[in-house]
Amino acid sequence: MADVGAAPPLPTQKTRGWEFTDLSALDLDSYTAASDGDPEARARADGVLNPPEGTDHLVVQVDGAVLEGGSVDVEGDGRPHEPLVASLESSLERFPHLREMLGALAPADDPFVARNDGAWRGGALVYVPRGRRLEAPALISAVQDADGAALSFRTLIVLEEGAEAEVWEQWLTTDSNPDSVFNTVTEVWVGPGANLRYVTAQGLSERGWVFGTQRAEVERDAHLDWVALGFGSARGKVRMETRLAGSGSSARVTGAYAGNGSQHLDFDTTQEHAAPNTTSDLAFRGVLEESATAVWRGMIRVDPGAQQTDAFQESRNLLLSKSAHADAIPGLEIEANDVRCTHAAAVAQIDAEQLHYLRSHGLSDEQAKRLIIEGFLEALVERLEEGPVKAAVSVALERRLGEILGERQVQLA
Amino acid sequence: MAIPETAAAERPAEERDLAGINADYKEKFGFHDPESGYAYKSPKGLSREVVESISEYKDEPQWMRDFRIKAYEHFESRPTPQWGGNLNQIDFDNIHYFVRASDKNSRDWSEVPEDIKNTFDRLGIPEAERKFLSGVGAQYESEVVYHQVNEKLEEQGVIFTDMDTALREHEDLVREYWATIIPPNDNKLAALNSAVWSGGSFVYVPAGVSVAMPLQAYFRINTENMGQFERTLIIAEEGSDVHYIEGCTAPTYSTDSLHSAVVEIVAKKSARVRYTTVQNWSQNVFNLVTKRAVAHEDATMEWVDCNLGSKLTMKYPSIYLLGERAHGEILSIAFAGEGQHQDAGGKIIHAAPKTTSSIFSKSISKDKGRTSYRGLLEIAKGASESKSKVVCDALLLDEESRSDTYPTIRISEDDVDVGHEATVSKVGEEQIFYLQSRGLDEEEASKMIVNGFIEPITKELPMEYAVELNRLIELQMEGSIG
Repeated sequence: MADVGAAPPLPTQKTRGWEFTDLSALDLDSYTAASDGDPEARARADGVLNPPEGTDHLVVQVDGAVLEGGSVDVEGDGRPHEPLVASLESSLERFPHLREMLGALAPADDPFVARNDGAWRGGALVYVPRGRRLEAPALISAVQDADGAALSFRTLIVLEEGAEAEVWEQWLTTDSNPDSVFNTVTEVWVGPGANLRYVTAQGLSERGWVFGTQRAEVERDAHLDWVALGFGSARGKVRMETRLAGSGSSARVTGAYAGNGSQHLDFDTTQEHAAPNTTSDLAFRGVLEESATAVWRGMIRVDPGAQQTDAFQESRNLLLSKSAHADAIPGLEIEANDVRCTHAAAVAQIDAEQLHYLRSHGLSDEQAKRLIIEGFLEALVERLEEGPVKAAVSVALERRLGEILGERQVQLA
Repeated sequence: MAIPETAAAERPAEERDLAGINADYKEKFGFHDPESGYAYKSPKGLSREVVESISEYKDEPQWMRDFRIKAYEHFESRPTPQWGGNLNQIDFDNIHYFVRASDKNSRDWSEVPEDIKNTFDRLGIPEAERKFLSGVGAQYESEVVYHQVNEKLEEQGVIFTDMDTALREHEDLVREYWATIIPPNDNKLAALNSAVWSGGSFVYVPAGVSVAMPLQAYFRINTENMGQFERTLIIAEEGSDVHYIEGCTAPTYSTDSLHSAVVEIVAKKSARVRYTTVQNWSQNVFNLVTKRAVAHEDATMEWVDCNLGSKLTMKYPSIYLLGERAHGEILSIAFAGEGQHQDAGGKIIHAAPKTTSSIFSKSISKDKGRTSYRGLLEIAKGASESKSKVVCDALLLDEESRSDTYPTIRISEDDVDVGHEATVSKVGEEQIFYLQSRGLDEEEASKMIVNGFIEPITKELPMEYAVELNRLIELQMEGSIG
């Protein structure tokens, strides 16, 4: 699949899983591969997450240019002996054996993975050896600045047995608001007993396309806490797959999206229980204003033999306008009987009774609405542990809410 | 308000009961009759000639002939669906598409050929007719061999007859509604039915007429490698009320048969239609059925769809709520044992304001059986103030069985409230409900479902063949809340 010419054709709305996301307007050939970007553009990038304090584990890339993380200065033979956060390209030069882990998790038959395989530049690696802990969060920022360019990005996160790390990743755009394509592939391996907290925040141009294929494998007794934010892009799809591969493993996946204008946001999540005694807990919430639309498709798969599985998924949407539209497609495929699998999906408007109650307590219509939406999103944020991630997500949601409500935004006293 | 709810868990005693479903199928339903007196049996396989010959045999009007040919072309040109169950294993060339067992459709059981009559006697059809029904149709192979309807209903203008007779005697009425709900190009199997259809029921209930006792049709396949393609059309005029029940069984053979029906229902203003199916085909029958109803202003449409038999069923009865305040309900019950895949569910499309609906699905898998709930709940633009709830409830009786849930929710209105929840769990385990924070506790929510949904459905059908349906309806959530 390295030959891009042989990549599988792009999906159409007849392709399973793509029924609600129309790619007919996507002409990949009309985008040039991202060239070395303008280093000055870094300052014009709009971050989604307020960066964590006091970290020097930075990887920053603007278009094809690596601005931070280009040098790899850790010891190791074959694999790093110290925690390493660096550009993936530089890391593979220093540690060629790591190349074996590339593509081990990402589905090669996915048309966007196939196109990413030979095309990615820069990228990011987080590698934490056995029993080690990454002292400060890793912060990865991929920035698109050039108009008409396609950036293929790639992230590899490896936590060896008993390792611990926190990784913040942002896909951003600059104020040039380019018409662009962002195609990223993420592979995450959480080794036995390891613990990873991972935040991905998508704040791409609302004129651009986003394609994300992310897959995490969680080994015996390991834990993954994964948060995803989807704010930007005009259209595309982000796949988030979690495979509980070892017994006693668990994953919590929390997603929030907020769209306005004619944005179309599409999340496709999978929780695969491949081993007994595993737990997964997934919740997504979305807010849609103007003509924004969203699709959430979620699958819980319990493989034969994966007894004592406890799996949960829910998707809740709040529609703020008559023209907004949401599709929720939860799914269960269960091949073990000693399990507990639950899912829920709901689409609703702002509750008239709540609105009435707040207004009767002196709030304006705008203020009351804003408060209800904040409450809706806050319930999601409450899933996260106290700490910098929770604080950053909360601020990011509030800021995004202000954006989508536009001039209707009102500061609460 | 949408308070969808679910859970699953039963006591071991109920598990034992369930495990016995269809254990005596061979003796009760799996027998077959000799074919010595058959009037006609088309050779195996499908072609334009076979389609034309069916029409010719029935001496149909030209428009129906043209309709069949066009549908045949649709069928030929469409790929086999690759979702749901495995349809690639169907050998369409190894099926008899038209088999006429008896030369006539009688109104008197004594005129029905002996073997056929014995079969229906064994199935308890004449007895049920005497005791509980307003009318009965009995289809054997491709055509209806017995039909009877209460005289008083006939005097009130109720028409209940087989579709072939209806086309001859009420052509204008049939033509007015024919294929308006399910066009022949709707899907590949609906196209096949449209090309080779034979038999089925035609029901017309005039305005204001309430049919107190149910109408029933029983479908029986007898011969091997049979294709049965009945076509049913029910028209309930303004303010009328009717309950239609269908049952079906077939002998157990080692080779496959195919049943592919099309059922269209029109419930006009304030009408109420309930359609109950007890599907118990033998485990060599592919059961691929398209059922769709439209409900106009203030009308109520209910599907009670119980799938016990067949090798593979793919069937998703749907309701289009076209008029204000129309109401739709689907109760889908599926049971899959060894070698069975029940891919069932339902679709409800809210296309008018203030429409309401519920879908309640209950499925049980055992012995490597597979049940899949596949559903769609759509609130179209303009269907403001609509409400819906979807509840799925699945039981797995052993670790080799499989349960899938594929609900789709599409919402294009902002002032609606829609929800879905489902739980799959082990038998006997105490369940904790996940509940929307809408102020109802789980007891209340569950009562709402049990009382608000199951209760209006006649709890028990008196027919012998419905004993399993009765048992599964009885298997309520009350027992499952720890």
